[in-house]
Formats: sequence, C-alpha cells, structure tokens
Amino acid sequence: MSEPVSLTTDRPGQADTPKPPAPGRSRRLTDRRLAVAFIAPALLLLLAMSVFPLLWALYLSFTDYSATRGGPANFVWFGNYTAILTSAQVHLRALTTLVYVVGAVGLQTALGFTIAYLISRRTRGRGLLTTLFLVPMMLSPVVVGLFWRFMLDAQFGVVNSMLGSLGLGQVEWLTRQRTALLSLIVVDTWQWTPFIMLIALAGLTAVPKYLYEAASIDRASEWFRFRTITLPLVWPLLLIAVLFRAIEAFRLFDLVYILTSGGPGVSTETLSFHVYKVAFLGFNTGTASAYGILMVLVVIVLTQLYLRYLNKLKED
Amino acid sequence: MRHSQRIGRLSAALLLVATTVAACGGSQDDDAKASAPKAPAAIPELTKDPLTLSFIWFEWPPAQALEAFANEEYKKERPNVTVKVNTVPNANWHDAMFTQFAARKTDFDVAILDSQHIGEAVTNGNILDLTDFVKNNIDVDAYDPYLLAAYGQFPQAETGQRDENASLYGLPLLGDTWTMIYRKDLIGDKPPQTWDEMISAAEKCQADNPGVSGLAFHQANGSDAAAVTYNTVNGVYGGNLWDAKNRKIEGVLNDAAGQEAMDVLVTKMKPLTAKGSGNWFIDEVNAAVAQGKACIAFNWIAASGGLLDPKQSTLGKTREQILGKLGFATLPKQKTDLVPLGGMGMHVSAYASSANQAEALSFMKWFEQADVQKKWAAAGGVPSRKDALASPEFLNAGPFNKVYADSVPRMRDMWNVPEYARLVDIENTNVNAALNGAKSPKDALNDIAKDQQAVLDSSNRKGGGGL
Amino acid sequence: MAVSVDEAVSAGPVPKHAPPTRRRSGRGRAIVEVALLTVLAVVMLFPVLWMIETSIKENRDVYAVPAKFFDFDVTLDHYRDVFVSSGLSVSFLNSVIVAGASTVLATVLGVPAAWAYSRFTLKAKKDQLFFILSTRFMPPVVVVIPIFLMYRYIGLIDSALGLILIYTAFNVPFTIWMMKGFVDEVPAEYEDAAMLDGYTRLQAFRKFTLPLLVPGIAATAVFALIFSWNEFVFAIFLTSSDEVRTAPPAIAGLIGGTTVDWGLVAASSVVFALPVLIFAYLVRKHLVAGVTLGAVRR
Repeated sequence: MSEPVSLTTDRPGQADTPKPPAPGRSRRLTDRRLAVAFIAPALLLLLAMSVFPLLWALYLSFTDYSATRGGPANFVWFGNYTAILTSAQVHLRALTTLVYVVGAVGLQTALGFTIAYLISRRTRGRGLLTTLFLVPMMLSPVVVGLFWRFMLDAQFGVVNSMLGSLGLGQVEWLTRQRTALLSLIVVDTWQWTPFIMLIALAGLTAVPKYLYEAASIDRASEWFRFRTITLPLVWPLLLIAVLFRAIEAFRLFDLVYILTSGGPGVSTETLSFHVYKVAFLGFNTGTASAYGILMVLVVIVLTQLYLRYLNKLKED
Repeated sequence: MRHSQRIGRLSAALLLVATTVAACGGSQDDDAKASAPKAPAAIPELTKDPLTLSFIWFEWPPAQALEAFANEEYKKERPNVTVKVNTVPNANWHDAMFTQFAARKTDFDVAILDSQHIGEAVTNGNILDLTDFVKNNIDVDAYDPYLLAAYGQFPQAETGQRDENASLYGLPLLGDTWTMIYRKDLIGDKPPQTWDEMISAAEKCQADNPGVSGLAFHQANGSDAAAVTYNTVNGVYGGNLWDAKNRKIEGVLNDAAGQEAMDVLVTKMKPLTAKGSGNWFIDEVNAAVAQGKACIAFNWIAASGGLLDPKQSTLGKTREQILGKLGFATLPKQKTDLVPLGGMGMHVSAYASSANQAEALSFMKWFEQADVQKKWAAAGGVPSRKDALASPEFLNAGPFNKVYADSVPRMRDMWNVPEYARLVDIENTNVNAALNGAKSPKDALNDIAKDQQAVLDSSNRKGGGGL
Repeated sequence: MAVSVDEAVSAGPVPKHAPPTRRRSGRGRAIVEVALLTVLAVVMLFPVLWMIETSIKENRDVYAVPAKFFDFDVTLDHYRDVFVSSGLSVSFLNSVIVAGASTVLATVLGVPAAWAYSRFTLKAKKDQLFFILSTRFMPPVVVVIPIFLMYRYIGLIDSALGLILIYTAFNVPFTIWMMKGFVDEVPAEYEDAAMLDGYTRLQAFRKFTLPLLVPGIAATAVFALIFSWNEFVFAIFLTSSDEVRTAPPAIAGLIGGTTVDWGLVAASSVVFALPVLIFAYLVRKHLVAGVTLGAVRR
C-alpha cells in the first residue's frame, strides 16, 4: 500500500518526527500499553462494524445466499462475479455512473475553483461570502433531492417558470433520458461545488505572497503568474478534493433514489442504485454482495493508482 | 508489503469466523424452512394485560383511518388493547416489510401486504397459514370469493376464481381498484363508455381547454405505478399478463393484443398527458385533478378522498361544488371490461409473540363481522363482504364507492408469485422508458417479456441471480 | 493543517497596489469579477431562498404558475404542521438522540486514538491510518447488506443503538484523522515538561494537552454530527418503526402518499437544516480542516 498523501502542508515533518526516546525502560512499556489502550477500542469498533461485515460480504459473494429465502448458502464460487462482469445490465449502469461521475466532478471542480479564485481576489466580505456559499453542502441529500425535485417539476417548478418568463419552452427535467442525467449532475454540482471551493480557497490563500511580489517586479503577466505560481501550488490540493468527490459520486445512491428513482426507465440508475435493487427487490444477497465487493475493489484500485500518480507529480 | 501480509492473515481469520457464523445461521434457517407456520384453528386465550397490536402499512390516509377506527371500535371489545399502525414511505413499503421478515424479527404483528406480496411471504414462511382459523371463525360465504382469494389465497388463481382447497394466508382489509375521474363541466355528465370514446373525449377536451391536459394517470417507475397502468390497458384490450399454468410470459404478454395495448398507451394516451408527467404517481395525479389541470384521470379509489377536500382543491369552495365538476365512474370497456385489483389484506407475522398473534387473530375475527365492516365502510374503508359492499353505509360514504361495488366482478390481479417484486420492477422501468421516449413501445414490451421470463426461469442458475 | 476560513479570509495574495499602468483595466476587471461572483452567489443561494419562501406560502401559491416571487400571503401554518400534526417531532427527537450519541461515542473513541497515533511511534503507523481511512471508502448500500445480516443475529435491527453504532463506526475514522492533525499542532514538549514535573503521561495528556484540544474536538464533533444528522441510507434500511425513525427518512416519507404538501416539505426541511447551519457557522474557522482531513465525509 502506498502511503496516503499527507494533507498537512504546513509544519512539514512534525507529524512524523519520532518522539525522542523516553528515558527509562519502564516508561516505554507504559507508553506502549497506553497506546494500545487508547487505540484498541477504536480499532475494535472498526473491525466489528466495518471489516467484519465486509469479510462477511466477501464470503457471501461466493454463494447464492438469500436473506429472505433462508436455507443454506451454496457455494457458486465465482459464478456471481462472472455473471456481474458479463451482464449487459451492469455495463449500462457502469456507463451511467461514469458519465455522472465525470460530468458532476468535472463541473464542480471548474465551478468550485472559479468561485474560490474570485473570492480569493476580493479583499472585503470574504468571510460572509465563503460562509454563504457553503450552505448547500451542509444540507441532507434527502432535503436537496426533494427540493430540487419540486423546483424541476415540469408543470409548476420554479425553473420552468423562469424559463417560461424568458420565453423559453418547458423542459422535462426529470423525465427525459438526457435531461434526467443532466439534472442529477446539476443537483450534485449544486450541493458539492462548495466542497471544492473550500479546499481550493485553502490552497489559494496558502500561496506565499512573496512569490507574487517577485513576479510583479518581473512584470509578469497575470495569466503567467496564475499559470506558473498559483496553479502549481493549488493543483495537488485540488486533485485531493477531486479524489474525495469522485469516491463520493461513485457511490451515489440517495439522490437518485429521491430525485429520479432511476428513471426514465433505468437511464439514471447508478451502480449503487442497481446494487440496492438486486439486494432488496429479489433479496439476491449473494449477488449483491459480489456486486458490492467489486465496487469496493474499483474504488480501492483507482484510489491507489490516483494517489501513486499524485505522489509522482509531487516528486517531479 | 509486510502490512498486506498481516492483513491477509487477519482476513483469513475473520473469514473463518464469518463462515462459522453464517453456517450456524444457515442451519437455523433450515429449521424454519418448512414454509408458513400454521395459526391455531381457535383463538387462544387473550391476555388481560395492556397490549399494543402493531400493523405496518405505507403512509396514506387509510392508514390513519384504520388506526383511528380500530382504537375507537376495537377498544370497546378489548379495552386493554391499543392499535398502532406504523407507516413507511410508499416507495419503501415492500423493502421495509421484507427486510424485517428477513431479520426473522418484526416490530409489527400484522403486515398489510399488497395482494401480490403474498407469494413471497408464504414461500419464505414469513406469515401464518390461516386456513384452519378461517374455517372455524370466518363466514367465508359472506365474501365475494375473488376478493377472498386475492387478499389471502396462495397459490392464487389468476382467473379470479377462488380455489376452495388452496390455503389462506390473509383476510381482506381494504379493497381497491381504479376509478375514472372526469370533469363533468368539461366533457359532460355522461362518462365515456369505451376506451376509444374516452381517448377521443380527452382529445377534444384538451383541444377546447388550453392549459388543461386530456389525461392524467400513473407513469412513475417506482412502486407498481407504470406497471399497473400498462396492465390495465393490456386487460382492457384483451391481453394476458402470463400463462400461469405453464409459467410463460414470453409470447403471451407480447402477443398481438399486448402490442396493441402498448401502442394505445404510448401513442394515443401519452400525448394527451401533461408535459413532464412521466414520473407521476398517485399524488401528482391527484394534484393535477385538484388544480383543474386534467380532463380525465385514473387513480386508486382509496387515494381519491382528498380530491373532495376544498382546502386542497381549486375546483370549488365546498364538497358539493367540487362534486358538481368531478364525476367518478368505472373504467371504460373495450375488448374486455377488466379493471385492476388493488387493495391489501391483513397477514399475521410469523415472528410476532404468541400473545400478539392471538390478539391479531381476535382482531381479524372481529374486523370481518358484518356490522364492523359497515362501520369500517362509513369510516372511509373499503370492505370486502358482499353485505357491506351493498350497504348504504358504504355506498353513501363517498361518490367513488359505487364505482368500487360495480367494479368488483371485473377485477384482475397481477402475478402473485415470490418473484413479484422483480417482475414488477422490470415492467415498471420498461413501461416508464416507453412512456418517456427512452425505448420504443415494441422494444419495451419485448424486453419486459424476455426479462420477466428470465426471472421465472432463473431458479436453477449458478450465481448472478437478481441482475 | 492550520488553514482556516478566517485565515483564508484575512490574508490574500492579491497585491493591493497594482502597477499604475494597469489600473484602469484592473478596475474594469474587478467589476467583471464582482458581477460574476454575484451571479454565482445568486445561483447557488436561490434554491435555499426558494425553500424558505415556499415554507411560508399558502399551498395555492406554492403551485402558482408562473411562480410567485414576492406577492404572496405569508403563513406559518406549515411550521405549525411540522411540530403538531405531522408526527415529525418524534423523528427530530430521534435524530437528536442518534446523532448526539454517535458523535459523543466517536469523540470518546477517536480522540484518545488520535493522540496515541500522534505521540507514539507505532508499527506500520501509516498503513494503520490508511486502513482506518479506507473503511470509509465503502458504499453505504454495500455495507448495509452485511450490517443488516449482522444486526439480525444480535437483534439490533430497527433500534436506535444499531444506528448509533454504525454512525459511530463511520465517524471514528474521520475523528481520528482530523484530531491527529490538531494533536500534531500541540507541541509534545508540553507533555514532556509535565512528565519531568512528576506527572504520568496520562495525567500530562489530561491536564495539559486535552484542554488545548477543545476547539479541535468541537470542530471535529460538529462534522461527525452533520454526517449522522443527514444520513439516509442506513436509516431507511435498518429502521422501520415510527419510534426509531430519524428525520431524513421521515421527511422523505412526506411525499408518495396521496397528496404532496410541498409547503410542509419545505418547512420541515428548513427546520431540519437549521441546527446544522448554526453549528457550521459556529465552527466556520475549522471547516477547511474538516473537509480535507475528513476524507470521505458527507
């Protein structure tokens, strides 16, 4: 496993500096005991509530077990996995999820960075602005989903009403293939642009002033300064934000459940939503477990590759 | 990499534990496998201690009506009992009940199952077999036999005949079917008699009244919304959902009659609906009617009560004014006169305590008496006893109750099989796709038939079930 | 990790005195930027304003086409309904209990662990930390299946305790990561000095380090609280009865009956969102720490 990218950009080294050796042998022993006593409860909880269930799911993924039908779990070994990987239904959901993840994360990165950049160039009212921009991120996905469903209603929704007063026709936001996926992307972007903005803002304000001052003495153009000073310094932090958002977006369920329930047809069904259907409509627990394990694998592998790429970027 | 080795060892150890636990669980399940446990033929002695009898239903007015009615009336009989009707969101109804069944522990004593859920619950042994209890305690002749079959019998005869030898697993709670809701002030007092007439009346009304759409019906891809809509049109145009005896859907559902029904739905009916109505279900259709935005609408009778509430309507300031504009009629006929069967029965959870199971049986016996059924009708319920259906208490309680009484002999249900939840999801998503232009009507119907057939045939597949 | 919104707010990279030759174009540009920022702020905030507006409209104005932005009758009926007739107050109370208990539990378990990870040299510390973080990568819909099966055996289905435990498990990784950042910033020398004075290490932690961590703990706890407060997937699949249900599934249940009361939906959403917004405002200084260390925070 590669090490996680250190997010603590300031005070480098401090976190990992080994403690100066404690004077006595007995002291070190109590230290170790203390460390174990402090860490063990948290790790035990994680083992019981996160690791154990995952391993259980791993075991079930090789069986045809069903939570409602009961009966013994028969081993089908990789039967579930091959069925999932070869299923056209799954491929369709994977494509939908991919479009959604790329669209939503791309859009919110662009928007979030733009807003952060604009805010960072203001001298007054920044605190208020930042706080206001953060509101969508604090809301429950249930509230966000419900309320956007209301606003996007084709008949009496406020969005179409405003389009109408601009002389544009009604748009079926949630019931056409293309627009439904677009709506999902827009709503997710609305909720999570603040997240990218916040991180980008942190990066932008951490850029040391003297770099700019040096650049302005050189009469460098603003674009040049942005490209050579701002962006390279903000980029790594922004890439981390993108990673977090991509992981979140990949597992999106609640917004789909409330906004479109996968419709029209199955055109906005994400992988998570499909897992839900497999798990709870037919109670095909074995298949759903394998499906879930595959999703976790995809996240872990892609995260590792991405982090490795990030580390390389840092070294260059 | 030392770390991953350790994780590996740890995983192996935990996997062992998981396997052991699951194996133990497995053997437990084996014991419980012998399908549905039997309820006693006579009601056991009831407790005198305070007891709460819990139901589970979804969130809608009849749920509140049932709780109020039971606490008012059943309390007179059993003062120590309080009735509680737990409700969940409609979209989560099936999942909420069956996850609890899967847990082999329910926080409800009486499950109010959709009629098509019975198969799944019986096969998994989740609800009590009431056959003996019914024989000794319920006057079965008082019922319309099909309703008794629909809300309790399994295997269910799709033809609408009650099979005297089949087992009963539930008793009727609330009958339901679709009613046609039409604007008397826009299309006239006399409701259209045939499906064709209905479509042309809607067409004319929509053309004459800008801003009002011709039709409003269920199109959503959640619950059973779009599926019931297609099934209704399919029935009216002489189609069949399946060949129950041979478990054949492919070639039956998508035969010529089925194709015609899909064409009528998508090419004739859909263009008459409001733009963006492709995700409408019960509440959106009601809202469209109440806002005066639909000439003709179809909705479940049990969900139509709110239409007469002046507070939610723009059609009038009093109930009478609203009734001057809204008419309720049985569905038009075409090649057949079939209407969809809705409604739900009461079923006793196999995992409730014996005291609560006994109380549940006592409640059901009480509930199915003639005078109680009439009172339930007056309180807003829809009874299943013939005498209650014909009683003035029922017929005068709402303008749509006559519609229900007239519809009873015309009802047809869906497939009542353990695979119901998946069959209905396939149909919902495909009909919804066809209605919203994501699939051609022909492709949608063929996909439904193919996928549903695969679900019925998939019982001996090696892995990947449920995809 | 010491970048806070306030710092982000006070110190700017913008040179205050642009070279005179560029002043005119600079002012024009500033106007464009302010305009752009205003437009973006309006777009981002409009849904929130519309929600508040809908919550105080009469139902007939809620459905009005074209939408009424200003000329509507103000009513507080929807807010009354939230607390009186809708039964939502029980769910709000459940949310308070579940979110509160899981936050306290996550803090009690997470803060000592974070301190230990920060202060002691441990074997494969980085791997352990990454492992802790990675438990949050799992899609909830996937985790809910085995959790469900597990709860079935130990009888935690449809119980507040079950929700508290799973929320705690999702919050502990976050708490450890975020708190480790805060502990790193408290010089270890304080504890060393205390120990030279004769305190044990535990006492040194309690008496000298812990008080310095209080602001960090508050910020971390608020994020844990927000996650538990807003969580939907576990809540809807692991609970079913009115007595246990938390607010998100209860609010979701407001639609899908026979009528939709969007005024009630809006009012309950506002009521439900208020505590979170207030808490977020109180810890605004630590928001950046929260979102960056919180990894897969919701």
